[in-house]
Amino acid sequence: MIVPFGHVLMLAGVLFSLGMFCALARRNLIMIVLGIEIMLNAASIIFVSAALHWESLEGQAFVLFILAVAATEVSVGLAIIIYAFRRTGSFDPSTYNLLK
Amino acid sequence: MTIFSGEYATLPVVTTATMLPFVAFLLIILLTRSRPRLSAALSVGAIAVSLGCALFLLGLHRHLEKPIQYTGRWLASSEVQIPFGFLIDPLSLLMLVIVAGICLLVQVYSLGYMEGDPGFSRYYAFMSLFAWAMLSLTVSPTILQLYIFWELVGLSSYLLIGFWYEKFSATQAGKKAFVMTRAGDVAFFLGLLLVLLHMGNLSILEMNGPQAAARMSPAVLTLSALLIFGGIAGKSAQFPLMTWLPDAMEGPTPVSALLHSATMVAAGVYLFARLFPFFSLSPTAMNVFLAIGTISMLLASTMAMVSNDIKKVWAFSTISQLGFMIMGLAAGGYFAGVFHLTTHAGFKALLFLCSGVFIHQYQTNDIFELGWLGARRLKAPVVAIIVAAAALSGIPPLSGYFSKEAILAGLAGLSNPVWLSAGLVGVFLTAYYSFRVIFVICLPQTHATASEGSSHASGLNHEDGRHERQYRTMARPLIVLATITVVLGFFEGPLKDFLIGRPIAAEPSGGGHLAWAQYGALALAVFGAWWAWMEFGRPGAGLVGFVERMPPLYNLFAQRWYIDHFYRLFVDRIIDRGISALCFQNDNKVIDGGIDEMSRGTVESGRVIALLHTGAIQHRLIVTFAVIVFLSLYFFF
Repeated sequence: MIVPFGHVLMLAGVLFSLGMFCALARRNLIMIVLGIEIMLNAASIIFVSAALHWESLEGQAFVLFILAVAATEVSVGLAIIIYAFRRTGSFDPSTYNLLK
Repeated sequence: MTIFSGEYATLPVVTTATMLPFVAFLLIILLTRSRPRLSAALSVGAIAVSLGCALFLLGLHRHLEKPIQYTGRWLASSEVQIPFGFLIDPLSLLMLVIVAGICLLVQVYSLGYMEGDPGFSRYYAFMSLFAWAMLSLTVSPTILQLYIFWELVGLSSYLLIGFWYEKFSATQAGKKAFVMTRAGDVAFFLGLLLVLLHMGNLSILEMNGPQAAARMSPAVLTLSALLIFGGIAGKSAQFPLMTWLPDAMEGPTPVSALLHSATMVAAGVYLFARLFPFFSLSPTAMNVFLAIGTISMLLASTMAMVSNDIKKVWAFSTISQLGFMIMGLAAGGYFAGVFHLTTHAGFKALLFLCSGVFIHQYQTNDIFELGWLGARRLKAPVVAIIVAAAALSGIPPLSGYFSKEAILAGLAGLSNPVWLSAGLVGVFLTAYYSFRVIFVICLPQTHATASEGSSHASGLNHEDGRHERQYRTMARPLIVLATITVVLGFFEGPLKDFLIGRPIAAEPSGGGHLAWAQYGALALAVFGAWWAWMEFGRPGAGLVGFVERMPPLYNLFAQRWYIDHFYRLFVDRIIDRGISALCFQNDNKVIDGGIDEMSRGTVESGRVIALLHTGAIQHRLIVTFAVIVFLSLYFFF
C-alpha cells in the first residue's frame, strides 16, 4: 500500500467533518442530504482502506452495500424533498414546524 | 288448647302488628298518593288492625311467665351474631298497646285536623312509617335492631316536624330535632359498641341477665350505661339536649301529640325501662341519670311557667314529665317510671289534641288570645283539657295522680332528701303552669275584647258544616282519651302485677315516709292550682304571674335558661369560627393550594422542556452528533 493508512484515516475524518458541517449548518434540504452522502462516503473510504490494511474482503463488500443503500436513500430523500417543496414552497427545514 | 293456639298465634300476630303500618306506608307512597281518602283509610285501617293485634297479644299473654323471643339470624361476623326478631314480654306488650292506641287515635283525629291539606296522603304515609318504626322498636330483641328502628323513628319525626316544608321555621325545627337527637345517638352507638366488644352480643335479655355483670368490669359498665343514656337524653329531650323539643312544635299539632306522648320522646324512656336491670348494675350511672332527670324536670317546668304559646307549654311539660320518669326509673322504681310513661302517654296526647282543636278553630297558639276569642265555647275540648291538665298536675282521681305518687314513693325511698324535695317542687310547678293555661283559656277575662271574639265567631259560621264535621271527627278521640285518663289510674294494681309479676310482695320504701310524701305532693299540687287561680283565675286577677313580676327571673325562664343561646354561641364560636374555619383554611390553603401548586409546576416544567423542542431537524442532528461524540470520548478514552 503506497498511501499510509493514517493519511487515509485523516482524509476520511476531514471528509466526515465537512459532511457533518454541511448537514448541520446549511439552510437547504438538498445540501443537508448532500452532507449526509459525504459522511457516508467518508465511512466507505475507511472501510475500503481498512480492507486493504488488514487484507480482508469483507470491508469492500460492506462498501457495496453502503453504496446501494446510499443510492436508495438519495432517491427517496429527493422525492420527499420535492414533495415538501410542493407543499411549502421552500427548502428551508426551519419552516417545517407544523409538529412543534 | 288455648295455650297451644297462643303459642302458635304469637309470631304471625306480632308480625302483622308491626309490619302492617309499613305495608300501608309503601302502598301510600307508591300507589295512592293522589287519592287522599284512600291513603287515610289505608293508614288508619293498618294501625287499627295493629292495635287489635296488640290487644289480642296482651290478652293472650296476660299471665306471661317468661319472655318469649323469636329470632332469625340476620348478620354473622365470626363470633358476633346479630339476630333479628321479636321479643315479647310485659313491657313490650304494654308499650305495643300504648303506641298502637295513641297512633290510632291521633290518626283518626288527623282526619279532621289535616282535612284539605295538600299533603294529606304524604302525612298519612309518614304517620304509618312512624307507627311502623315505633312498633318495631318496642318488640326488638337486640339493641342493634332497636337502634335501627330508633333511627327510623328519628327520621320519620324529622319528616313530620318539617311536614310543612314551605315554612322556613318548620324545616329548621326538623333539622334541629334531627341533628340534636343524632348527637345523642352517636353516644348511644358508642355505648352499644362497647357492650358488643365486652359481651359479644347485643341481646336485651342477656344484657339484663347476669352475664352483663359477669363479663364487664364496673368501670366499663358505667361508661357504656352513660353512653347509652346519651341516646336517651337526645331522644327524650333531657337536660343537655333538650332544646329541640319546643321547636318541634312547628309540625302539625297531631304530630306533636304523637311525638310527645307515645312515640319519639317516649322511646328514650322506653329504652331506659327496657335495659333497666342493665342500668341498675351501675349505681354511679343511676345517680347521674337521677341528676339529669331532676335538672331537666325543674328547668323545663320553669320554662313552661312563662310561655304563652299553648303548644310550647305542653312541650316544656313533656320534657319535665320525661325528666320525672327518668327520675322515677333512676330511683329504682321500674314500675313507677313505666306507669308514668303509660299515663303520661294518655293525658299528654289528650292535652295536645285539645290544643289542636283550639288552634284549628281559632288559628292562634297564644293562650291569652284563645281566651279572648272565647275558646271556652268548645265544650268537649275544654272539659277534656281540664281533665288532662288535672291529671298532669296530679289531682287525685285521675291517672296522673297515681303514677306521680308511685314515682314520689320511689324518690322517698332514697336516702338523699334532695331528690324528693326536687320532685315536690316539680309537682308544685307542674300544677301552677298547667292551671295557668286552663284558667287563661277557660275563664272569661275582664278585659276581653268582646267585639273581636264575636267577629271571629261569625267568620267561622259560613263554613259551619265543614267545620262542624271536622270538629266532631276531632272530638271523638278526645272523649276516648279523656275516659282513659280518668280510669287508667285505677288499674295500677293489675298493671303492676302484669309488669313485675306476683313475687314482689311489698313496697320496699318505708310506710310513714311514703305517706308524708303523698300528702305533701297532693297539698303542693292543690297549692299550685290555687296560686294559678289567684293570679289568673279569680275575677279581677292581674293575669300576671309572680315570675313575670321579677324581670331577671322572667327573662331567664323565657329565654329557656339561655341554653339555646349558649348552643348558638358555642356553635358559632367554636364550631363555625373555630373548627370549621380551620377545616376551611386547610381545605383552601393546604389541599387546594397543594393541588394548584402541583399543576402549576407541571405546566411550568412543561413549558421549560418545550423550549428544547424547537421542531427543527438540524438542532436534533446537532444534539445527536454531540451525544455520539461525547459518548465516543467517554468509551474510547
